[in-house]
Amino acid sequence: MKRILGRVAFNLFAWTIVLVTAFPLVWMVITSVKPQFELFRIPPTFWPEQITFEHYARLLWETPFLLYMRNSLLLSTATTLLVVTVATLGAHSLVRFRYRGRERLAQLVLFTYLLPSVVLILPLYLMMVWIGVANSLLSLVIAYTTFALPYALWLLRSFMQGIPDDLENAALVDGATRMGAFFDVILPQALPGIISTSLFTFILSWNEYLYALVLVNTDEARPLTTGVMNMLISAFNIEWSLLMAASVMMSIPLIVIFAFLQKFLTRGFGAGGVKG
Amino acid sequence: MSDRNMTVLGRRTLLGGTAALGLGTPMLARAQAQTTIRWWSPQTAPAQREAYNFQIRAFEQANPGVRVVFEATSDEGYPAQMAAAFASQQVPSVVTHLPSFALATYWQNGLLEPMNDVIQAVGPQNYYEGANRIYEITPGQYCGTGIGNSAANMLWLRADLMQAAGISAPPRTWDQLRDACRRMQGRGVFGAPLPYGRNSMTSLIFICFVHGAGGQIFTPDLQVAVDSDAFRNALEFYKSMRELCPPGATGYSWGESLTAFVSGATATGIYTGRVLANVAAQNPRIADHISCHRYPTISADIAHWTFNDFPSVMIPKVAPNMDLAKRFAAHLFQPEGYIRQLHAAPGHVLPVLKTISAMPQYQDNAIINKYRAMVDLMSESAAAGHNLGWETPRHKPNTRAGAIIASHALSEAVQRYVINNEPMAQVVSVTAQRLEQLMRAS
Amino acid sequence: MAQRGASAAREAMAVPGLTAADRAAVNPLDRGYALLGMVLIAPTVLIFCAVIVYPLVSAIYLSLFSIFTPTLSGSFVGFRNYAELANSPEFWRSLLNNLIWTVLTLTLQVVLGIAAALMLNQAMVFRSLARSLILFPYFVSTVVAVLVWRWLFNDLYGVLNHLMMWAGILDMPLDWLGAMPNAMVSVVLVGAWKYFPFVVIAVLARLQTIPETLYEAATIDGAGAWGRFTDVTLPQLRDVLVVVVLLRAIWDFKEFDLIYLLTGGGPIIGTQTLPLMVYKEAFGLNEMGRASAVAVAMMLVMLVFMLVYFRVLRARGEEPR
Repeated sequence: MKRILGRVAFNLFAWTIVLVTAFPLVWMVITSVKPQFELFRIPPTFWPEQITFEHYARLLWETPFLLYMRNSLLLSTATTLLVVTVATLGAHSLVRFRYRGRERLAQLVLFTYLLPSVVLILPLYLMMVWIGVANSLLSLVIAYTTFALPYALWLLRSFMQGIPDDLENAALVDGATRMGAFFDVILPQALPGIISTSLFTFILSWNEYLYALVLVNTDEARPLTTGVMNMLISAFNIEWSLLMAASVMMSIPLIVIFAFLQKFLTRGFGAGGVKG
Repeated sequence: MSDRNMTVLGRRTLLGGTAALGLGTPMLARAQAQTTIRWWSPQTAPAQREAYNFQIRAFEQANPGVRVVFEATSDEGYPAQMAAAFASQQVPSVVTHLPSFALATYWQNGLLEPMNDVIQAVGPQNYYEGANRIYEITPGQYCGTGIGNSAANMLWLRADLMQAAGISAPPRTWDQLRDACRRMQGRGVFGAPLPYGRNSMTSLIFICFVHGAGGQIFTPDLQVAVDSDAFRNALEFYKSMRELCPPGATGYSWGESLTAFVSGATATGIYTGRVLANVAAQNPRIADHISCHRYPTISADIAHWTFNDFPSVMIPKVAPNMDLAKRFAAHLFQPEGYIRQLHAAPGHVLPVLKTISAMPQYQDNAIINKYRAMVDLMSESAAAGHNLGWETPRHKPNTRAGAIIASHALSEAVQRYVINNEPMAQVVSVTAQRLEQLMRAS
Repeated sequence: MAQRGASAAREAMAVPGLTAADRAAVNPLDRGYALLGMVLIAPTVLIFCAVIVYPLVSAIYLSLFSIFTPTLSGSFVGFRNYAELANSPEFWRSLLNNLIWTVLTLTLQVVLGIAAALMLNQAMVFRSLARSLILFPYFVSTVVAVLVWRWLFNDLYGVLNHLMMWAGILDMPLDWLGAMPNAMVSVVLVGAWKYFPFVVIAVLARLQTIPETLYEAATIDGAGAWGRFTDVTLPQLRDVLVVVVLLRAIWDFKEFDLIYLLTGGGPIIGTQTLPLMVYKEAFGLNEMGRASAVAVAMMLVMLVFMLVYFRVLRARGEEPR
């Protein structure tokens, strides 16, 4: 009996903590379905007296929200493809090959963690102009590699260190080439790691703000983060209801990723625990 | 830059130096489609966007093969975006609605095309008297032209709350204003939504209070003038109003301040005519109780000083398709489109062309009709308005005004005195030093 | 993630050890593949040079000039920008803010993270839903997080003030973001809320691999719940925590979005950290040269702290493995 009571008490306690943590996000959803006049109630109503989806409709049909969404999707997907491809090859090279400067290179990658984005922005912008891609999605893809590539490289490198050498050696003994062994043996083994790295890269790119703020100033190439802020916070109005609705919709792709691929995400985090 | 005696290097030299480090020179390209006009503005409310689209379509139809792209910027964001655009020479063709003093800074650095052609195309005789005076920094050359007027520091009042508090007349002096706010404050309603944030609104509104105390930020020949009784009185009054403003006023900028009055959370407001449209859309309950007046001053002897940021049109010097850009700038003043633009925010952006004000199509608008007297009052006040770039008719144009606002030197003075409780003498001397430093850096 | 950090830390320490590549080199089948290895790493190296090394060197170069951002023209001033920084109270204040913010928010993240991980490691109803809800703040965009919190903090309509007034903790709405020290506290709290799930994930994964036998042994030795935590759990977590603290410290130190969007560095410069100062100098004041100098100084500070961190760890024999 005491044991059961203890269980119940613990569950209540734990769920209270969980709900307090999640409260801001719950409040975001509640606010987004309140009519605008109810928003400015003092004191605020907790449960909406009237549920409305007009804010979502307005965002979707009357604002460039869908354009920003498209941009964000293109941008994050392109960044992820580019970064993960390059990083997979790079990590494979760092783990399985031996040449001069390899260790030094790995250290340099670590150093890039220390670089704040603000340092790189202006030179990067000038470079984009020089190669003729300024103010485009491509320029953001290139800029995003500055933080996504070191990140992905390290993540993949540690995944690949976990793959036993013997597998590749066996393939080589069987007459496979190095690249053949890479595709047939290493890649399938590294797949969970690659998926998890891709997800992290995608999320990083999806949420980026500073580069998008400075490097792009046309709606044609503006992602959600800066697009929503620019559109809804202005000198003449702060559209809280639209902001909350936009926040919910911005998070939907992340919720989808999270729901379906949670085990890859946590594995990406957790692999370190296994190795200590 | 801060030291004129140093060898001034051009951009090429600077980047060439980078090349000497073996890094390649990012040469600056003008890669832009031949017939695209990029138009920037920070005024981007949905209704305004609609009016812009109308103007764009009309221009595109009249000029086959030309595409006009509208791109939104923002009041707090444009300095960074313009800087990046100028630095890369990837500039928009036409920029509208920036405050006049921002243009002065760009002009001073040789970044703008003179707008004489555009003014000529619109017809100089159509403008209100002296509407373009503020843009004539170099004699005979205009760094921009006005696309509107605004009266940003109008006092907005709620007749119903005044009546409930037993206040019969709108306040004329600061003491009356403070008293009225104090009597109307209560039951969840605050007195006023004055901004105390570290942002451009606080700087700009505080300048109004300095003038309302009979002072000025700079003397007519642009010497720093903040070490004055008027400046101190303004700070003192501004501080005394803090308890009559919502707690979050320490972060208020235009949006928050406007919303506070419109939502009914404050009894008075300080804003342009944008209030009218927002009340109609968001809080029609108070639509019949609002009125606007010139903002009180320290005493009845001190004349009102209206802050007009002079929403402008400018064309960067390196804009591609210069002829087309100029034609498009002039096109923005075509009555049909221009009136739509003005109607998108009735009473907020006021016409700069007297020919437009007189047109029946302009008068024919529900909000302008309903609040005719107020719109007229705002037009009249705005026409006689000033800003930091041009504090009084006797002042020389101040080409550092944009940098001073962006530096937040003035809003920081407010925060130091009101929020940090620093001693007056220290606040004044720090502010004076910052301003002198900013003036020297030109 | 943690593992990546572990390797990162190992590289930085240059701890001698047999890596996979070393072992591969012993294998005669693998000789002569150095060229292929270099080909595979080539795209990475090229991109690094283009988007990181070049801008970095440019930044250092620019810091020796006085440059007006919109025209990019300016004059060579040598180390004057740095000399001005050393004499600028604003720089030191921003550095101090940066340290206060980093230390406070990091401490909260670690404490909350460990506590939440321990809790989520226990059996509870709908545990995987609970885990998702706890982890979610880490994945939402900073923009979303900040918007939601600004709405919660709102002075007039914000639910936080009203909840606290209803509970009798406050009797007037509190100015969360506009006054000191509230602004710093709010920023630290939101930072902790946003990033503690990172610690949860890393710790949770490690918790699951602690052998049950260790706890059994401790129980037999008479350890209570707290004793088991300090004697078994914490030592087992040490490696993971060393890495997590390192990574989070770096990221918190560099944080821009969260603070910029929440307070903009205000009131005055009360919450202005170095990245915000860089942004302000470069784009608010159009002083590209001074901005670069601040950025370079900031990197040096981080480098120093990292070296000290490793020195301390090594001295205590706790180098990350």
